[in-house]
Amino acid sequence: MAEDNTTFTLPDLGEGLVEATVLEWQVAVGDQIERNDPLVEVETTKSAVVIPSPTAGRVVALHAEENEVVPVGARLVTFAVTVSDDSPQAGIVGKVPTEEAKPARRVRLKPPSD
Amino acid sequence: MTANLAGDVTMRYVDLPASEPRDAVPVLLLHGFGTNFGMNWRAAGWPQALGGAGLRVLGPDLRGHGGSDKPLDDASYLPERFIGDLLGLLDELAVDRVDVVGYSMGSRLAWELALTASDRVRRAVLGGFGPVNAFAEADLSAPGAGDTPFDQVFRTVAELQGNDAAALAACARGQAARPFVGEPRPVGVPLLLVSGARDTLATGAEDLAARCAGAHVEIPGRDHATAVSAWTFRQAVVDFLVG
Repeated sequence: MAEDNTTFTLPDLGEGLVEATVLEWQVAVGDQIERNDPLVEVETTKSAVVIPSPTAGRVVALHAEENEVVPVGARLVTFAVTVSDDSPQAGIVGKVPTEEAKPARRVRLKPPSD
Repeated sequence: MTANLAGDVTMRYVDLPASEPRDAVPVLLLHGFGTNFGMNWRAAGWPQALGGAGLRVLGPDLRGHGGSDKPLDDASYLPERFIGDLLGLLDELAVDRVDVVGYSMGSRLAWELALTASDRVRRAVLGGFGPVNAFAEADLSAPGAGDTPFDQVFRTVAELQGNDAAALAACARGQAARPFVGEPRPVGVPLLLVSGARDTLATGAEDLAARCAGAHVEIPGRDHATAVSAWTFRQAVVDFLVG
């Protein structure tokens, strides 16, 4: 079994919200957590929300401090995720590289400053 | 799921089975003014916390809110009308007794439920609630037009997707028509009050808890909007209900 690092960004919280304030982390670096475990509590202008973990894994890094304002799409947390050894590896069995497989969808958070 | 419980008012609710079935009293979650089950409780991590503790969760959208019908007359929102809905829901689901957990207006209704149907309530939690007049100084003929704390709350919730400002205004007037009085008190129903240290709408929560021989948990640094999602709150409730 190998490990891959994967970074999770602040998801779109709906209602046209563009940022949220981190109230309290529900995990710490080193924690092994399951998918949907409470990850972080954030406050928007509309409400307070607990964001569940999108994946099972070990927490490697938290990218925001408590009370910090984080824009939607900014890095939130990095996990080390266990990858099964017998799953297809990119390049070996001709799997489409991840970068190309992702839909080229970008959300503009702020108008260009220049 | 929906149920037609009282007259023409249809109520939407969720009934989430316990993750590990056990013979526990279900938990009835009552959201606050201008929100709904999903926003007040689900998004704040409650079904998962309670489900993880082996508890079944019943989560209505109160009349005038969320996916439930939104009548426009003030009388539809008298507290006793909400209580009628809740007892109708318990009857519909053949649930004898619940633990009720409220937030803000939902806490006021949890108190009423414990008062009027103490045989149907085992324990009650009042979150974000104190014996203060939430509508103080507000002109409820035109809520949102003034600058009182309630006007500010009204403006915030009136623009939330799916809300009907006219129904919410009627709801405010219906609730205000029966001001909260701390007497008489629910008999035989242990109470827990939980509030953010900076929640002005919960002023006096500690005194109310003391008068009712209940417990009070204060969440440091939190206000009315941010106490509901605090881990401390969820944990205090799980301990109170499962302990």
